[in-house]
Amino acid sequence: MLEISNLVKRYGQSKPVLEGLDLKVEGNSVVSIVGASGAGKSTMLRCINRLVEPTSGSIKLNGTELVNLKGAELRRARRKIGMVFQGFNLLDRLTVMENVLAGRLGYVNLYQAITRRYPQADIERAFSLMERVGIAHYANKRADELSGGERQRVGVVRALMQEPEVLLADEPTASLDPRTSEQIMMLLQSLASELSLPVLINIHNVAQAKTYTERVVGLRHGKMIFDGLPADFNKDALDAIYGGIEAPDETVSEQPQSSAEVARHDSA
Amino acid sequence: MTPPDPQPSVPRTWKKPPFIANPLLRYGIFIVAVVYLVWAFGSLPFNWARISEGLPRAARIFSGGFPPSFERFGLLLTGFKESFQIAILATLLGVLLSIPFAVMAARNIAPLPIYLIGRSVIIISRSFHPVIVAILFVAAVGFGPLAGILTLTLYSIGFVGKLLAEEIEEIDWGQVEAMRATGAGYLATLFYAVFPQILPRQVGLSMYQLDSNLRASAVVGIVGAGGIGGTLMNAFGRYDYDFAFAILLIIIAVILLSEGISGWVRKKIW
Repeated sequence: MLEISNLVKRYGQSKPVLEGLDLKVEGNSVVSIVGASGAGKSTMLRCINRLVEPTSGSIKLNGTELVNLKGAELRRARRKIGMVFQGFNLLDRLTVMENVLAGRLGYVNLYQAITRRYPQADIERAFSLMERVGIAHYANKRADELSGGERQRVGVVRALMQEPEVLLADEPTASLDPRTSEQIMMLLQSLASELSLPVLINIHNVAQAKTYTERVVGLRHGKMIFDGLPADFNKDALDAIYGGIEAPDETVSEQPQSSAEVARHDSA
Repeated sequence: MTPPDPQPSVPRTWKKPPFIANPLLRYGIFIVAVVYLVWAFGSLPFNWARISEGLPRAARIFSGGFPPSFERFGLLLTGFKESFQIAILATLLGVLLSIPFAVMAARNIAPLPIYLIGRSVIIISRSFHPVIVAILFVAAVGFGPLAGILTLTLYSIGFVGKLLAEEIEEIDWGQVEAMRATGAGYLATLFYAVFPQILPRQVGLSMYQLDSNLRASAVVGIVGAGGIGGTLMNAFGRYDYDFAFAILLIIIAVILLSEGISGWVRKKIW
C-alpha cells in the first residue's frame, strides 16, 4: 500500500508545485493521474522514489516512511519502486539484456554488475519477463536499435526486474504513436493484475486513462481536484482539470513560475 | 495586416551587420593593434648584425645535413623504440588515470569538494608545457625514459581528463535517473549509465593522445627524458648534421603515419 499524506514540493522560493497532496493506493489497482502540464504529476511521481526531494509531508510504502531515507537505506527502498519513463531512459549503447538486468543493480554487488555475472535466478526472470512482453528475441540487440514500443517494453521489464511493490509510470506513452501507446497501456494493465502490483500512471490522454485504469486522479496546480472511478470522470471534471488551460494568455499569467520550473526539471 | 508591396519603388539593399557595432570602437581597436605592432617591433632588441651573420651559418648547417646519413641506423632504431615505449606506456597510464579524475571533475556527478579537487588536478597538470615538466622530472628521477613516461602521463591526465569531464557533463541524464531509480549504487550507476555514453569519445581521445604523446616524446627527449629526442640532441652536439637530418626526416614520417592510423581508427569507431 502506498500512502502519500500532505506532500509539499516547492522549487526554490516559488509557489509550491505540490500543495499538500494526499493519496492512498491499495492492492493491485491501476491509478491514472491526469492534469495539465505543470500540474505537478511528474513531480509527485518523482517524489515517491526520491528522484525529486519532497519539501515536506510523508510517503509510506507498505509501512516504510520514504521521505527521510538516506544512502543505502534509500537505495534499498528504491529497489521496491519500479519506474517507467516517458523517454524510456534505456542504456542506449548496451544490449537489451543488459538493460533488463540493470533492474537488478540494487540487489547484486559491484563485481557482479561490472562483469555481468548476474545470479541464475535473475537471468531466468529476465527471460521469462521478456518473453511475456515479446522482446526475448532482442536479448542481444543494442537498445537503441529497437522501435519506440519495443524500447518501452524494455523499460517496463527493467522496472519489473526490481520485483517492485509499486510501479510508477511517468507519461509512459507520450513518446509513442497512438496504437503502440494503447498496447503499452494494455500491457501495464494486465501486468498489474498478473503481478498484483499497484501502478500509478501519469498520462495526458484522458480517453486512455478512462479505458485502461480503474481509478482516475486529477491534479491542478498541485492540488487533487478529482479522485474517483473512470465512469464518474465526466465533462465537469475534465473542465475542472483542464478548464481555462486552452487559453494561452491565462495559463501564462496564472502560473508562469511553477510551470517553467517543472519544464526545466522534466528536461533535466 | 496589409500585404507587403510586391514591387517596392526603391530596390532594398542588405549588408551584413558589422561584428563590432560602434564604428569608433571598431576603428579604434584596429588603430591600437597597428600602433602596438609597430612599437613592439621597434622596441624589441633585434640584433640585425648577428642575424645576418647567422644566416650563412644556418645555410652551412642545412647543407651539412645533405645528404642525410642513415649510417648509424641501429642508433636511430634504438631511439625510436624508446620513444614508442615512452609514448605507449604514458598513453596507457595517462588514459587510465584520467578516468577517475574526469569523474571527479564532472560537476553533474561529483559533489562540490570532490569536483574542486578533480578540477585542480587537471588544471595543474595542464598548466605547464611538457618540456618544463620534463625538466622537473629529469631533476627528480634522473636522465632516461622514466622521466619521459612520468611527464607524458601527467600531460595525458590533464588533456584527456579535461575533455572527458566535459563529455560526462553532457551525457543523457535520463539514463542516470533510471539507474538511480532501480536502487543502483554510485559506482554501478557510473559503469552502466555514464561510461558507456563516453566510451566512443574515450577511445577517440586515447588514439589522439597516443599520437600527440609520440610527438611530445621526441621533444621531451631533448631535455634528457629519453627517446629519439636525446639521440637528436647528441647528433647536434657532435655536429653530425647529416645524422640529425635523417632523424628529423624519420620523425616526420612517423608522425605522418601515426596521424593517418589514428585518424582511420577514430573514424571507424565513431
